[in-house]
Amino acid sequence: MSARIDPITRSVVQHRLSSIVKEMGEAMLRTSYSQILNSSRDFSLAICDTSGRLIAQADHLPVHVGALPWATLAVEERFKDVKPGDVILLNDPYYGGSHLPDLTAFVPVFDGERRLLWTIVRAHQSDIGGATHGAYNPAATEIYQEGLRVPPIKLYEAGKLRDDLLDLLALNIRNPREFRGDLAAMLGAAHLGERRLSRLFAEFGAPVVEAAVEAILDATEQQTRAVVSTWKDGVFYGEAFLDDDGHGCSDIRIAAKVTKNGSDVEVDLSDSDPQSTSFVNSSHANMQAAVAMAFAYLIDAEIPKNTGALRPLKVIAKQGTVVWADPGRPVTLCTSHPSNEIVEAIVKALSASCPERAMAGWSRRFRIAIQGEDPRTGKNFIWHLFQARPGGGASSGGDGWSSIGEWHSVGGLKFGSLEVAEVRFPLHFRTHEFRPGSGGDGQHRGGLGVSLDLVLETEKSAKGNTAGDGARHGPCGMLGGQDGKPHHYRLLSEGREPRVLRTKEVGIELRPGDCLEIRSSGGGGWGSPAKRSAEARQRDREQGLTEVATEQASS
Amino acid sequence: MMFRIGIDVGGTYTDLVATDETGRTVFAKSPSTPADQSIGVMAGLEELARRLNVTRADMLAATDRLVHGTTVATNALLERKGAKVALITTEGHRDVIEMREGLKPDRYDLRSPPPAPLVPRDLRFGVKERLKADGGVLIPLDLKSLDNAIAGIRRSGATSVAVCFLHSYLNPVHELAAVERLKQALPDISISRSSDVLPQIKEYERVSTTIVNAYVEPIVRRYLTNLEARLGEAGFKGSLFVVLSHGGMAPVEEASRLAAGTVLSGPAGGMSGGRRCSDLVGIPDLVPFDMGGTSTDISLISGGQVSLSADGMLAGQRIALRSLDIASIAAGGGSIASVDASRTLRVGPESAGSVPGPACYGNGGEAATVTDANVVLGYLDATAFMGGKRPLDRAASEAAVDRIAAAMELSRVDAAAGIYRMINLNMADGIRLMTLRRGVDPRKFALLSFGGAAGLHAAEVARELEIKRIIVPTVASVLSAWGMLTSDLRYEVSRTHYGAGTRITADEVRDLFAGLEQQAAGRLRSWFNGPIAIERSAEMRYGEQIFEIDVSLDGLDWNAADLVDQIEDRFHIRHEELYTYASRGQEVVFVNARVAAIGEVARLDSDTRPAASSAACAPRSQRQAFFGGWREVPVYALDDLQPGHTLAGPAIIEAETTTVLVDTGDRVTVNALGWLDIALRGHVDT
Repeated sequence: MSARIDPITRSVVQHRLSSIVKEMGEAMLRTSYSQILNSSRDFSLAICDTSGRLIAQADHLPVHVGALPWATLAVEERFKDVKPGDVILLNDPYYGGSHLPDLTAFVPVFDGERRLLWTIVRAHQSDIGGATHGAYNPAATEIYQEGLRVPPIKLYEAGKLRDDLLDLLALNIRNPREFRGDLAAMLGAAHLGERRLSRLFAEFGAPVVEAAVEAILDATEQQTRAVVSTWKDGVFYGEAFLDDDGHGCSDIRIAAKVTKNGSDVEVDLSDSDPQSTSFVNSSHANMQAAVAMAFAYLIDAEIPKNTGALRPLKVIAKQGTVVWADPGRPVTLCTSHPSNEIVEAIVKALSASCPERAMAGWSRRFRIAIQGEDPRTGKNFIWHLFQARPGGGASSGGDGWSSIGEWHSVGGLKFGSLEVAEVRFPLHFRTHEFRPGSGGDGQHRGGLGVSLDLVLETEKSAKGNTAGDGARHGPCGMLGGQDGKPHHYRLLSEGREPRVLRTKEVGIELRPGDCLEIRSSGGGGWGSPAKRSAEARQRDREQGLTEVATEQASS
Repeated sequence: MMFRIGIDVGGTYTDLVATDETGRTVFAKSPSTPADQSIGVMAGLEELARRLNVTRADMLAATDRLVHGTTVATNALLERKGAKVALITTEGHRDVIEMREGLKPDRYDLRSPPPAPLVPRDLRFGVKERLKADGGVLIPLDLKSLDNAIAGIRRSGATSVAVCFLHSYLNPVHELAAVERLKQALPDISISRSSDVLPQIKEYERVSTTIVNAYVEPIVRRYLTNLEARLGEAGFKGSLFVVLSHGGMAPVEEASRLAAGTVLSGPAGGMSGGRRCSDLVGIPDLVPFDMGGTSTDISLISGGQVSLSADGMLAGQRIALRSLDIASIAAGGGSIASVDASRTLRVGPESAGSVPGPACYGNGGEAATVTDANVVLGYLDATAFMGGKRPLDRAASEAAVDRIAAAMELSRVDAAAGIYRMINLNMADGIRLMTLRRGVDPRKFALLSFGGAAGLHAAEVARELEIKRIIVPTVASVLSAWGMLTSDLRYEVSRTHYGAGTRITADEVRDLFAGLEQQAAGRLRSWFNGPIAIERSAEMRYGEQIFEIDVSLDGLDWNAADLVDQIEDRFHIRHEELYTYASRGQEVVFVNARVAAIGEVARLDSDTRPAASSAACAPRSQRQAFFGGWREVPVYALDDLQPGHTLAGPAIIEAETTTVLVDTGDRVTVNALGWLDIALRGHVDT
């Protein structure tokens, strides 16, 4: 269809689009209210067109990349009468969402009468109602226990706020003021994008922008196909396991059959285990996002992550499996689990096709939340574990990053200052250092996890909840490299036997003076350990990164 | 005759400016000597004296103040050529710098290994000691453990030590004791103490800043001490001051002690110059736009004020000392154009630098750079570059641009115009992001164009941002050195308030600031006997937030009973300015108190030039240049332009070290200072 567009105009439009999403991100970071957004940056921005194609996105959380087109399709499906000034919200995993805390706002962008694009902001809310604070509920057996479900709704109609709807949302959320602040930030960012896109239409004319977009997607596709065609053809298999679902089912298998043919990649997850009764299920959109994330990690970092880059990729999955649950199942853990396992299974499969690109396993998420009373103020507190970041996987490029994160966050989650945490919470961080020996051995060693001894300085007992996985299955080694050490968390309480914490527990009693002995996982190793250079091993020993060295140091 | 001299050592040139009490201003440029910058400085002083028609010794004897911007610390950090540093820290917490708060820059690049920290793990020594969050001692400093660490440092051959314990910002007792013992055991070692360098909460920022300080301190001290001695031998008897990253200046000893505070020394001079320009031309909202060979530095002057930020990062290292809010974009005349696998044109961030430089330099560079595009487009005159001292190879530029053109199936001129367009977009985006962060609208600002390459690009960058006016000062090519002459003396101190959930009281606020004021003014008084002004500010946040914002507390009634209410009110207002909303009624946490003592130095007048007899001026020549199509355009010499002259684009204005493009429909007026005041088309008053 498109008129031939000159390459300079295409380059200029592409540059503009990516700077617009960047500016949206900057606005979001600066205006959002809650810590999970302005510090941990758990949000993403995108521009999609009306057929759900991802045109541009900012590098925030990879797990959102491939999910937003599905959300856009759900919006298009629901509303045929979108007008200028409308704002649409959704979070429901069965209407294009990932999991309930991820609320998504859509603002339509018009050129005169014609609706062409959406600016989209997805942000993880610090609370979304439901049975537990913050939506992670290991006990949930249906989605209703996880929080408020929002199908696509019009929050604004032709520029007019439907404040009755806003009240309904805010009333169902534990911290309505924070929720309203974050929502205002999301809408501000989406509207900023809308204004900048309108100006882009005015400058070039919408037909030129549309033609440029087609050319950008085509060029990105070509660029991606050029990379993929260098990989070995064949049918490859990979698998990864969740420890358990917390409801009695162990070793939940994610199976990837990957067919690489020329410049096409087909990922088939149909052979994965059946869905669970617990929150370890994935929604359809989140599964799509996890597959896209794995693919994005394997192609070149510089390739724009738009629909063009995903065109060579075909995804097959079966509803009723853990990667694509039936409507009504709980799914809150899915952005981390089974996302991490989906990525790992695919990367493992493709390691036979593109070994130089396949990185060893990054870590899995194991969170703890503590609720109690601060004796210094008499006030209640809720604290979430972001410290003790686990290790990243090694790759052909070198050793893995230490203290960096999981497959789904890859260095995008910030843990705050321990000094600030000690001032704000009755907690004492006795040690917080690399965990020697945790990185998987290999030609290139996995990044290290962290050893954290955390002492509770309350005067009354507090309660802890956990949510996560990876206490039995460590991040996988790649191409002969060894697995990283899995997570290992224990509760040390005077007069009691030390107890290993499971990854999905609620209502753990924590007594004053108790110590949480947290050992986060190390990343997987890459390549055979026999190929690790003597200098690298020497350096590891000198730096105390191996277990032997610590024993010597402490003797 | 009494002189003041400003010296800015850049990557390629050392710029020098001398002014006398009549306002007469003389410039000189001399090649920089990176191995020992003082050689280039002394040679530059020779050249400056020649232009003043005096001997160097006579000039220096008549100079009462020499203000210096140095890149010694910057280069040591960028090139990783600092000292061998060891760290003494709290046992169980020695990996803080290598953890980087869990962050990694590029989300999709999972195959690049982590950067090596400035201090490797085997040089990071944990010592048994621990303070509580309220500053009380939980575990006393264990001397045996400290001695083990000192023995390890001795064995390692480290020449500089950073000392940083948890919560030392509240109570430096263990750090002081450790420093004392270190000094006894290793008298020649250089020591940076965190409670001295940055006595503020947040261990990653404090330890990283302290380590950077330890890393650059010995080299900065050696350089400055050496320079001071050379100047003395050459006859200089006045005071040598160094510009710090926050834009103020300090004597050699202080700049050496806080060496990490000199990493933006050079650009800080440019911002001082920008503020002075803002005063002189009466434009309070100005975007200083300094485009050089490899990078472009931008900042904002809003309401006549520059803003300070503690978010600094250089060469991957976190430096949390306050500095002028300057963004450096990897875009300059040497930026390299390339065509990627999707046939998309990219310009930068790679740069040809000055070696090999753009293809037209003829030093073996083959890549097409922005400068090559400017040659192809006729904007730069190949024969007249650098006043004809360094002619450019036009054929080499054409060949380089042709390679880009072939890859994109474009004509030569379209490829060159594309390169020109993309670099301008990069720079405009940088300015737009900066204004967004500061919550201001770029359209109401004027662009201050300076640095060698800015004049060629300012008009299109301004148009991209809907900016209406551009100012090009005659000192454009040496603005940083010139700006240094307008710097004030500045000494900053800060302290964290420990609240643990309770609201700060008015008495606590008054005590906190009184202590800091005494400390800051006392220190400044030891270098300076003129009038001292005090600036106060506080960093605050809402209860659940993690970022503090800096709020000015000047002009408050400090004796008022509702002092804390007033302070919180300032915070709400500032929060709303920055982030569009305030949450009154929400808990406000007072985190850091800051005081700056400022010694204001007298400004020298700027000379004005005699006005021209008529508005018209004559071009020196005509040449073909690309303004939407090939046009024969007039070329003016900046030296010929007198106050009152006006001219309209398309035109090119050339000076020895810079070229200014005037686009079709834009209109230039030469103001009373002899500076160019350019109104962009659509905004030309007729």
